[in-house]
Amino acid sequence: MARFIIRSIISTIITMLLVSISLFLLIEVGSGDITVKILGVFSTPEQRASYAAQLGLDAPAWQRYIDWLIGNDWRAKNKVGYPLVTSINPQTGEADWWADVDGQLTRWTLEEGRLLTLKRQDDGSTTSHISSGAWQIDEEGREYFWGVDVKNNAVMWVRGAGAEVWALTKAGLRKEGDGPMKYIPLRKGLLRGDPGISLQYGRPVAVTLVSRIRNTLVLAGAAFVIIMPLALFFGILAGINEGKPLDRIISITSLGFTATPEFVTGIFLILIFGVWLKVLPAVAIFTSADAIFEDPKLIALPVLTLTAVELGYIARMTRASMVEVMDSAYIRTAIIKGMPISRVVFKHAIRNALMAPITIIMLHVNWLVGGLVVVEVIFGYPGLGYYIYKSAIFGDFNAVEAAAMVTVAIAIITRLFGDLAYTLLNPRIRYS
Amino acid sequence: MAVKTITQPTSRPSRLQKIWKSMSIIFESRVATVGMSMVLFWVILAFISLFWTPHDPNASDFIQNQGPSIQNWLGTDHLGRDLLSRLMQGTQVILLKTRLPGDAGISIPGGVAIWGVIGSLTLGSVLGLNAGYRGGWWDQIIMQVLDALIAFPRIVLYLVVIAALGQGDLVVILAITITGAPGVARLARSLAMDIKTRDYIRAAETRGENVWYIMFREILPNARGPLLVDGMLRVGYAIFAIGTLGFLGIGLPPPDPDWGNMVNEARRNIFSNQLAVMWPALAIASLVIGLNLFADGLREEMTRYQK
Amino acid sequence: MKKPKITKFDMEKTHPAIPNAYEQLEQGRISRREFLRFSTLLGMSAGAAQFLAACGAPPAAEEAAPVVEEAAPMGGIKRGGTWTSSMQLQLLDHPARLSWVEGANVVRQICEYLTITGPDNITRPYLLEKWEANVDVTEWDLYLNKGIKFNNGDELTADDVLFTFGEWLNPDVGSSMLGLMAYLSGMQDVEKVDDYHIKLHLQFGDIAVPEHLFHYPAVVLHREFEGDIIKKPVGTGAFTLEEYAEGERAVFKARTDYWQMGEDGDPLPYLDELIYVSTDKDAGVAALQSGQVDALYDPRPTDFNALKGVDGLTITPASTAQCLLGRVRVDLEPWDDVRVRNALKMCQDRAKILQLAYFGEGDLSLDAHVAPVHPSYCEKDIPAYDPEGAKALLEEYAAEKGIELPLKVSLATKNDQAEPEIAQALKELAAPGGFDIELDITEPSGYWDRWTEVDLGITSWTHRPLATMVLPLAYTEESIGAWNETRWFDTEFEEVLREAQGTLDVEARRGLMCKIEDIMQERGPIFNSFWKSVWNITNSKFQNIKAHPTAYDLLYDVWKDE
Repeated sequence: MARFIIRSIISTIITMLLVSISLFLLIEVGSGDITVKILGVFSTPEQRASYAAQLGLDAPAWQRYIDWLIGNDWRAKNKVGYPLVTSINPQTGEADWWADVDGQLTRWTLEEGRLLTLKRQDDGSTTSHISSGAWQIDEEGREYFWGVDVKNNAVMWVRGAGAEVWALTKAGLRKEGDGPMKYIPLRKGLLRGDPGISLQYGRPVAVTLVSRIRNTLVLAGAAFVIIMPLALFFGILAGINEGKPLDRIISITSLGFTATPEFVTGIFLILIFGVWLKVLPAVAIFTSADAIFEDPKLIALPVLTLTAVELGYIARMTRASMVEVMDSAYIRTAIIKGMPISRVVFKHAIRNALMAPITIIMLHVNWLVGGLVVVEVIFGYPGLGYYIYKSAIFGDFNAVEAAAMVTVAIAIITRLFGDLAYTLLNPRIRYS
Repeated sequence: MAVKTITQPTSRPSRLQKIWKSMSIIFESRVATVGMSMVLFWVILAFISLFWTPHDPNASDFIQNQGPSIQNWLGTDHLGRDLLSRLMQGTQVILLKTRLPGDAGISIPGGVAIWGVIGSLTLGSVLGLNAGYRGGWWDQIIMQVLDALIAFPRIVLYLVVIAALGQGDLVVILAITITGAPGVARLARSLAMDIKTRDYIRAAETRGENVWYIMFREILPNARGPLLVDGMLRVGYAIFAIGTLGFLGIGLPPPDPDWGNMVNEARRNIFSNQLAVMWPALAIASLVIGLNLFADGLREEMTRYQK
Repeated sequence: MKKPKITKFDMEKTHPAIPNAYEQLEQGRISRREFLRFSTLLGMSAGAAQFLAACGAPPAAEEAAPVVEEAAPMGGIKRGGTWTSSMQLQLLDHPARLSWVEGANVVRQICEYLTITGPDNITRPYLLEKWEANVDVTEWDLYLNKGIKFNNGDELTADDVLFTFGEWLNPDVGSSMLGLMAYLSGMQDVEKVDDYHIKLHLQFGDIAVPEHLFHYPAVVLHREFEGDIIKKPVGTGAFTLEEYAEGERAVFKARTDYWQMGEDGDPLPYLDELIYVSTDKDAGVAALQSGQVDALYDPRPTDFNALKGVDGLTITPASTAQCLLGRVRVDLEPWDDVRVRNALKMCQDRAKILQLAYFGEGDLSLDAHVAPVHPSYCEKDIPAYDPEGAKALLEEYAAEKGIELPLKVSLATKNDQAEPEIAQALKELAAPGGFDIELDITEPSGYWDRWTEVDLGITSWTHRPLATMVLPLAYTEESIGAWNETRWFDTEFEEVLREAQGTLDVEARRGLMCKIEDIMQERGPIFNSFWKSVWNITNSKFQNIKAHPTAYDLLYDVWKDE
């Protein structure tokens, strides 16, 4: 038993690593040059190179993968020469990077050839001083300086050789002088809870992601609680009545609901309950971050939509499994022996019949995530699926990678639980 | 024994006989018959649409957002196009033709859903047979990769693949192939593990046959039935997926109508014209149900045969 | 009818050009609307101008559409309540850099403009007390209201205005105000006379200065603004920003010390709270019908169609100079050839495109970026659908180039308002003209990423009150690299445009506009079938809602009647 669990966990970790590598490759390599997407196809190669450097894309792929996974502040620390720390910006609630110079949080900026030291005060404001003597000399005799800039990059400035930097604004590209020569966009990495900055919104992905995951878990959890008992009930009911009219009605209804795409069910639920009858909120309007807790009715229609689609599927699985069990020799023997049907069903059949659906449901979680994306898009529900959809359309790879890894983790962990549940329910595996 | 007929082609029943025999299985099951007629309905409609539709599917000849009438049996869409004609032509891209990229506008026979499923069946069988028959490290590695693939939520994979490669028939086929292959592989693996214990495989091994020969000439033909049934269900999933991708605005590209982009276009007018989204959705649902019933019926009959 | 009590002398004191315009009004050569706009721009108060217009216009020249009066006293005003709207929220930092009206709607609640152009197209003072212009409109005196406080307690003075002008004119900021205010060569042209008086010295005359000051990026910033309005939301507006989360929501609370007073003698605003929720339009329409939100930002025609019969919603339409503009890159083949451009223009069956894309709700257009709602629009015949003519032109071109028809082109646009419908319709309509149009329709953000770069595309352009505001932005040599998406420029065109910008006389201006429209129709880079109608769709509980042609949300004096 313990060996089995350990083996499952090891396999899970390997799977996660494999997925993260392939996801990273697929998005970073497959999506081509993101700077062309952001800057437009007619941007000059210099503009693209400059922008790519600011995003840290000039580093080799393996390096970026490692940065993405475990961060790069430990790498940048050696360059800057001071410990790098984050502090929460009180205005935005987001983390800013600073160098910890003997207890004083410090950044630098280059203005008109002069290096300015920005020191963070306790009240969150900064004071700036002209720093002198900070420059170091490299082998070629150039004066250079590694520091942390105001945009959360570790950067290398070279005196008198400020690169021209093309910064993107909504009105087009504009050129900024005094640009650094090298950039390391500081991040803690996915494993340490920092998946980077969203290219679409310019905010840390993690800030948005946390509330999105919570919203999705609430939605999926509510749907799960409703679907499971109903599906098992109808499935078992149909299974023990195999071939009878009740079975046919249940089977055909569930097939019908399963075969109707989520978007159709969702749209018609909106029309009927939200627009015509006005008894439930039509869509998920979040007037505050905690709107689902203040007004739980908000998730009624999304949950109903998920239920309609998923209920039928799981009921069908349960039915099939029940039919198989009812057909097995030991059940027949029990019935022939004269045991009351109800006792046969409750004592012997259900327990065995549940094994298959449970594993299937656990394997089915990623299908459920697919349904979630569509449902969240229909209802404008600010969850993980909607976030993935918006980010993938934009090509916001930091956001897509992080959000997709979360869904993968959910899928794999539930499957691990599925395996464990199966083991517990199945004596043959339990004792082997 | 059935085995002999496969290893000795001379004693095979004639092709016609074989087809008739498998057809008769279908008609023995009422479920399968109903399912098949639903599927055939759309296939026939697709062929008809190659030569004739009531109106030009792309021409805005009528009043916008009208309900059914004598002229437009299913009504018109937001651009005043005939919904029946568009629904009919929409079957083509799904079932009958795949448009190749490039300016030439060349199409190959076989719809996007069909090719996608052929792709996943091929890829999945190769992986599954290798894992199941060879076992050991092959099995470990292939299953690990498949686990990773399965863990990928399909829709994320679709979104990522399409975001990376752009919209197009081939991209959708690729997406369906990749998402479908792990399921096929698992099935093929379990079948292979079951079949490889049989005597005729032992015999082939003793004869010193090549591993690939055993997998594809000995095991695969005997695993054909369940794989085909599974494939049929997958055509249903694929059509469902095409609809969903269309709804999300990343499905098959215009201008030819397909059910997915009909849904996408009709969605904006949903509050003034519910029918425009109903028809393609009903079409998707009926085809999926048809394929499901067909597959269910076949499976039932096949298990009965085995008994 | 009473004789005007405002004498010619009074008029001349405000601006010497006004008596002349009044004469033209009396003779029926310009409309009441035109006179109103003209005289108010030159500094006459809206009340006086309306009085004059009412008296001066001969009955025959009276227009069917009544001029919107200043809001009459309403009574029964109630305070309190929340206003919720559905609108996409994007990344937002520097207001001067805004290129999205959505972002401007957020900023507009916190910060304010020097002037305000109403739905009646008349510009009135806002933060300003008044303005004055000299005879040739090259010198403008702007007088600030006194006693206006920022939400951090500081008083608004000329320093803040000067700082804001500095941001606009700084090329590094990347503001579209820079192109608009080409008449200012730099901060040396902006003079601080005293704490409440700023003088602009224009390089060449432009009558539209007050209207430019209401261009959507033109909010007045605090003198210590650091480049990100979300991090430091300081402004003079009626609301303060409580929360801004891109892609989620924006929440505002009412200020208690706002400078404008309500009908009841207490400071505005009447509403307690504003919430923008970032949703897709489809979800927004459903939310509006079910009462979850009170308004929908910039409804699409399909939304209007869906919502027009719904109880409890008030729909106010407005004609606009907003359009979904077809445009080509004249620096790329085949659009560098004027025959190809004109052939495509001839392939528009404008009435049909309007019907298909906008359910007929809009005004038909010429292929010039000048709309009927623009003052001094020069009326011309709407070109007819002429596929044969187009084909003839294309055949000539094809023969010269040695290529075969149909000419394959790819039309890029976004799946947003009605662009896909226009694109679909155009594809069908242009087929007999010899074009084979391939459609490349992406999500809006996908198109905005490359809108200046595609060779054939449909871009949405927002309403600007004057043609002379939009033309320099997109059709001059200077604007290449900024908003000139077609790379088209024309020496004669630019000369006429400059002249029009500095011409006061409405009739003379119309003559120049005729020339501008001709040039654009003859060799310009754009094709446009119609000008959109827009609708303000708001829950009927809300009073004093103004339907602005640019979907601006002006909410400081809106109140809610439960």
